[in-house]
Amino acid sequence: MTRPVIQVDEKPVKWYQGMTIADLLEQMKDVTFCSVVRLNGKLVSSPKFAETLIPKDAVIQLLPLVAGG
Amino acid sequence: MGHMQLKEIKAAPYERAEVNKGYTDQSLQINLDKTDIHISPIDTSVKEKFIGGKGYDLWYMWHAVTDSTKWDDPENTICISAGPLGGTPGYPGGGKSIVTAISPLTGAPIDSNVGGYFGPYKKFSGFDVIALTGKATQDTVILIDGIENKIKLFAASDLPETAYEMSDALTRHFDAEKPVNVSVVTAGPGAENTFFGCLNFSWFDAGRKRVRYKQAGRGGIGTVFADKKIKAVVARFGAISMKTNNPADLDALKTVTKAHAKEINALDPKQNRMALVGTTHLVPIMNDHDCLPTHNFKFGSHPGAAVIGEAVYEHIFDKGFDGCWRGCAVACSHGVKDFTPFTGPFQGKKVFVDGPEYETVAGCGANLGIFDPHTILEINFYCDAYGMDTISVGTAIGFVMECFENKLITTNQTGGMDISFGNRHSALELIHQMAGGEGFGTIVGKGVRQMKQIFAAEYQADAAFMQDIGMESKGLEFSEYMTKESLAQQGGYGLALKGPQHDEAWLIFLDMVHNFMPTFENKAEALHWFPMFRTWFGLCGLCKLPWNDIVPEDNKETEEPAKVVKHIQWYADFFSAITGKKTSADDLITMSEAVYNFQRVFNLKMGYGTRDHDTIPYRAMGPVTAEEYESRQERYDKQLTEKYGMDISGMDTNAKVAALRRERESQYEQLKDAVYERRGWNSNGIPTKETVKRLGIDFPEVLEVLEQNGIK
Repeated sequence: MTRPVIQVDEKPVKWYQGMTIADLLEQMKDVTFCSVVRLNGKLVSSPKFAETLIPKDAVIQLLPLVAGG
Repeated sequence: MGHMQLKEIKAAPYERAEVNKGYTDQSLQINLDKTDIHISPIDTSVKEKFIGGKGYDLWYMWHAVTDSTKWDDPENTICISAGPLGGTPGYPGGGKSIVTAISPLTGAPIDSNVGGYFGPYKKFSGFDVIALTGKATQDTVILIDGIENKIKLFAASDLPETAYEMSDALTRHFDAEKPVNVSVVTAGPGAENTFFGCLNFSWFDAGRKRVRYKQAGRGGIGTVFADKKIKAVVARFGAISMKTNNPADLDALKTVTKAHAKEINALDPKQNRMALVGTTHLVPIMNDHDCLPTHNFKFGSHPGAAVIGEAVYEHIFDKGFDGCWRGCAVACSHGVKDFTPFTGPFQGKKVFVDGPEYETVAGCGANLGIFDPHTILEINFYCDAYGMDTISVGTAIGFVMECFENKLITTNQTGGMDISFGNRHSALELIHQMAGGEGFGTIVGKGVRQMKQIFAAEYQADAAFMQDIGMESKGLEFSEYMTKESLAQQGGYGLALKGPQHDEAWLIFLDMVHNFMPTFENKAEALHWFPMFRTWFGLCGLCKLPWNDIVPEDNKETEEPAKVVKHIQWYADFFSAITGKKTSADDLITMSEAVYNFQRVFNLKMGYGTRDHDTIPYRAMGPVTAEEYESRQERYDKQLTEKYGMDISGMDTNAKVAALRRERESQYEQLKDAVYERRGWNSNGIPTKETVKRLGIDFPEVLEVLEQNGIK
């Protein structure tokens, strides 16, 4: 049986029950500037990374930089 | 009202200068006192030093005004320039105008960067810059017709009152068959009756077959426009292609344009989705990071923000192409069709609302405690139609709401209105009053700085408290970011030349969230580099959004991700391709630095431009009240103990507020020192002689201003 995966920036990443955005970012490289992600189309900001659970089959985009103005 | 009447009072045929490498090398000066139309060449030395756009505007203004010129003096001059790269179809953000004047709010030069087709049409009609001076004796419409090669002045009567209707009427009047050939600059009644009048720059949306507009909002240039009795300036021009700028290297231009547009088309859907939601994605992001101004910048977040961000506006915005310039891939100028206002002259009528952008949502929504997307739309619609800057309107009303809740003003002053936070009816009523120059709105329309003086002098309101909570610096209302936890952004606002507008240095995330600049020196470097690079967009007629709101996928692997160096190189290539001047990324900074310092000296000439004028209200630095402190007590207690090493065990909240204030105000002063040194200014914030010499702006008149201010 293959382990379930989620799509992160169009690449598969192994998923586990209870995985949070913070957990995901901890295992990824070059995420210093990632303060916002889109989780299934919805914005999630860094203060909520630790509390936001990633559901099975999630599609996530890491927003690279918030530039504003 | 009868039918619109335009009586020609002056017509001047001219030989249209062809555009060569992005420039026409001609200026158009219109003196409304004498109905004089004057076309003159632009000196090569001016071109080399001031580049275009804001640089040209400031140069022409400098020579038009004296050190005693006030905003409503005839010699105050409105300048509009698009820059050498402006008007490149298909280049993302390639069609901006930069407008300047002496501001009614600040008394110093103000600049505002705006979309719409006017800037490119004006340039392609033969003029790199236009300068409007004097005052007309009757309502006047100016036409710059690049198809028939004529400048015309009209005495106008029975024009529609609002910019919404006037833009449409004039567009169809001047080219009924091809309205896309017309762009109109208008203000509106609110510009006549407030100090924060804006200018609406239009374009004809061929897909929707309607006139749209964007705003040159900041600093009251619309008020100057109205004071000159200018009802509209119209530019008319025909077909445009990538060849219209007559670039030095068309192939190189095509290559860089295609590369940048292609990247945005590919990555915007994966990143901020600005082509779908504009800048409304910032609402939830700022709210989550405690940066969304709420209740006059008292707080940085509110649960109600969930219903005024992209999640809602994505579904309200009308679907279709929304570029404010031809072929722009960012296409973020969204709008709402068939909106029905419930107040005011358009009550019950279906209208099209251009917006809202983040700043309007934050300033006229969260900052007023109004968490209703439809009320924000109505405020947005009326501010534009009346010709008033949504940022100043939002920040000014937020101030009076807090004054009202603190009983500094009462219903005795407001004409019976309850203007507590969240009262959307009163907010809208104030806007209608401001536009009409009626009631309490007349006072609000003077801006926060004057309100503080009026409330203290006439209502005996607490001047010191108002100084702390009145969100203005240099006389300009703050734009919409809550900066308490970002020292760099405090500097980004306080040290900005024109006043607290984010377009000069938006560092709040890099500083506060990413901790990209932990030391004073890091912050000073950022407060040098970012304002300089952002200034460059204003010199060239470009929008800055394509630079760093959509970034390359490999940007995070570069040495300086915050600078988005790949795009900077593209901009250097873009400049080289149009102008033929081989240009490096570093050259872009040097170009800006000269104009930036010239503007600082211009401020000095007008009696500002020194350290005292870089002051910001304490609300921008930290908690003014016990309520604010206690709302984030854990954060502030931790800072007092861990960062400043204080024993706070015996302190009550007021003592903690005072202790934190001492530290934060001291930090801000230290930041000023570090930034001034990095910029080559003395400790009073004045460019040194060495600096102006290094930048090649050591003109005799510049040196004279410096000497008058003690720079030997």
